[in-house]
Amino acid sequence: MGEVGLPPGGATLTQAILISLKILVVDVPLMLILGTGAGWLLAKREFRGKDLLETFLMLPVALPPAVLGLYLLMFFGKIPFFRSMGLLFSFPAAALAALIPALPMVISSARTGFQAIPTSLEDAARSMGKSEITVFRRISFPLAKRHVMAGLALGTARALGDFGVTLMIAGNIPGRTQTLPLYIYGQVETLEFAKANVAAAILAAIGILSLRFVRMMEANR
Amino acid sequence: MSWLKASFKHEEGDFSLSLALSTGRDISVLFGPSGAGKSMTLKLLCGLKRPSSEGIFTMGGRVIQEPGRWVKPRDRSIAMVFQDLALFPHMTVEENVSFAISDGDSSKCSRWLNRMGLESKAKEMPHNLSGGQRQRVALARALASSPELLLLDEPFSALDTPLRRSLRRELKELHRETGIPMIYVTHQMEDVCAMGDRVFLINNGKLSGEVDLKKLTSSDSSWHHLGWGNMVDGDLIKDGGVASFSWRWGRFYLPPSIHEEGPVSVFIPSDRISIVYPSIPLDPAFSGNKVNGRVVERYIMGRMCHMQVEIGEQLWQVEFPSTSYESLDKEEGSDITIAVRPVDISIIPKDRRNFGED
Repeated sequence: MGEVGLPPGGATLTQAILISLKILVVDVPLMLILGTGAGWLLAKREFRGKDLLETFLMLPVALPPAVLGLYLLMFFGKIPFFRSMGLLFSFPAAALAALIPALPMVISSARTGFQAIPTSLEDAARSMGKSEITVFRRISFPLAKRHVMAGLALGTARALGDFGVTLMIAGNIPGRTQTLPLYIYGQVETLEFAKANVAAAILAAIGILSLRFVRMMEANR
Repeated sequence: MSWLKASFKHEEGDFSLSLALSTGRDISVLFGPSGAGKSMTLKLLCGLKRPSSEGIFTMGGRVIQEPGRWVKPRDRSIAMVFQDLALFPHMTVEENVSFAISDGDSSKCSRWLNRMGLESKAKEMPHNLSGGQRQRVALARALASSPELLLLDEPFSALDTPLRRSLRRELKELHRETGIPMIYVTHQMEDVCAMGDRVFLINNGKLSGEVDLKKLTSSDSSWHHLGWGNMVDGDLIKDGGVASFSWRWGRFYLPPSIHEEGPVSVFIPSDRISIVYPSIPLDPAFSGNKVNGRVVERYIMGRMCHMQVEIGEQLWQVEFPSTSYESLDKEEGSDITIAVRPVDISIIPKDRRNFGED
C-alpha cells in the first residue's frame, strides 16, 4: 500500500481527464447491461429474496461513500481470494469505485421504465408466439429505453464525480487512479485554484448536460 | 360436437376459478360481471397464466394441457385481442401487424391491412388512429398470426354504441370468412344477444352454465343472470287451495296450479310489470298483486321507458312503453305502485337458483 495517499501534485489535467474517460469507457457499458438487467428483474419478476436483492442493489445510495469505501477496502483487502487479484489501488479499482455508487441510479430508472409498460403489451407478444428474448428486445427494452438512458446519464455524471469511494479503494495516484474529482482535491491542497476551477468547470458542465439530457428524455416519453 | 374442451382449476390469492368449457368452432360468448374471472379464463386458455392445479385442455384434438404436460403460449397458436388492445406504441400499424407474422409471409400483412381497410394507415402510429381504427389494427394483428383460436377480451367495451355494433358485424364476417373459432368475453348484454351462438355464464370464478339464447323464453330466469329481469327470494305458501309467494316486502298470488311450498326464488320479467295508475282500477287479471316502491332512476330509450324501482332493499327493473309514460307523472324519488299478473311469475327450481355459483 506504499502508493496510497495524496501525492504533492505533479499530475496534469489531461491525465486526469483521460483516466476519467477510460473509467467511463468501462463503466457505461457495464451500467447499461447490469442496470437494465437488474431493473427488468425487479420490475417484471417475482421471486424469493427479491426485497433483499433490491436492498442490496440500492445500498450504495444510502451508505456514506467513506463507509462504502471502507467495506470494499476490507472486502478486496482482507479476503485472500480477492486480495490475490491485486485489485486495490489500481485502475480497475477506480472503475469499480465509480460504478458501484452509480449503478443504483440506472437500476432505479430502468425499473421505473419497465414497470410502466402494460403487461398486456408483453403478453400480446407472447401470445403471438414470441420468445422471452424477442419480447424483451422488440417490446420491453424499446419502450423502457428512455428511462434507461435517463438513468444512464445520471449514472455517468455520478460515476465521473465519485470522490470518496475512489479515494478509499483506488487511492489518488496521478496517471493511474487520479480522476477529475481527485485532481481538483490535489490542486486545492497545493492552492492551485485556477487548475482546480478548470477541472470543476468540466465536471459541472457534464452534470448540467446530463440533467438536460434527462429532461429531454422525460419530455419525449 | 366440441372442438375445444377445457377443464381445470386455478387459485390466485383469495380468488378461485373453476373452469369447465366445451365449445365448437363458432363464436362462444363468455358473459359475467366485472371480477367474475373472465379475463383470467382467457389468460389460462392462452397460456399467459399457468393453472395452479393440473387439468385438461384440448383444441381440435390437439392436447394443450394434460397432467404432466403444459404447452407454452408461443406454441399454442391462440391469438388474443386484449381489452386495452395492446397495440405496440413504438411501432407503426404495419409493424404491429408484421410483428405477429412468424412464417415470413410478408404478403399477409398487406392482405390483412387491406381487408380491414387500413392500407392508408399502414405508416401511422397507433396513437394517431381513431378508436375504431385501433380496434381494426388489433383484429388484423391477431388474425395475421393465423391462429387456430381467437380470444377477445371485451375488445369493444370502450367504444360508442354505433361503432361497437359496426365492429361486431365485422367480427362476425371475419368469423365466416376465416372459420377461426372465437371466444368473446363481454359484460354487456347487447353483445351477448348479438354475438352469442353459445353463451357461457361465469360468476364468482365459476364457469359452468351454457345458455342457448335461441331457446330462451322471455320468462326464463337465465335472463336474470344475463342482467335483465328480477329475481326475488321468498316462500311459497299454499293456503286452502290458494298459492302465493310471500317475501319480506309483499305478497303475490300465483296460479292455482302451483302445489309446492317452502323457500323459493321467483323470476319476474322486467316488461311484464305494470304501473298502477291511481285513477284506473287494477285489472282483475293481476289478482291484486301490487307492491309499493320508489322510483330511483328512469330513462326513455326508443319506445320503452326503463325504471329502477326500489322495493324494500331490492332494486327492480321495470320496462313499459314510453307512450304510457307521458301520462304518468313520476319523477325520480317519487312513490310508485307496480303490479304483476300471477301468470308472469316464474318459480325457479332450486338447482337453477344460483346459476354459476355454489
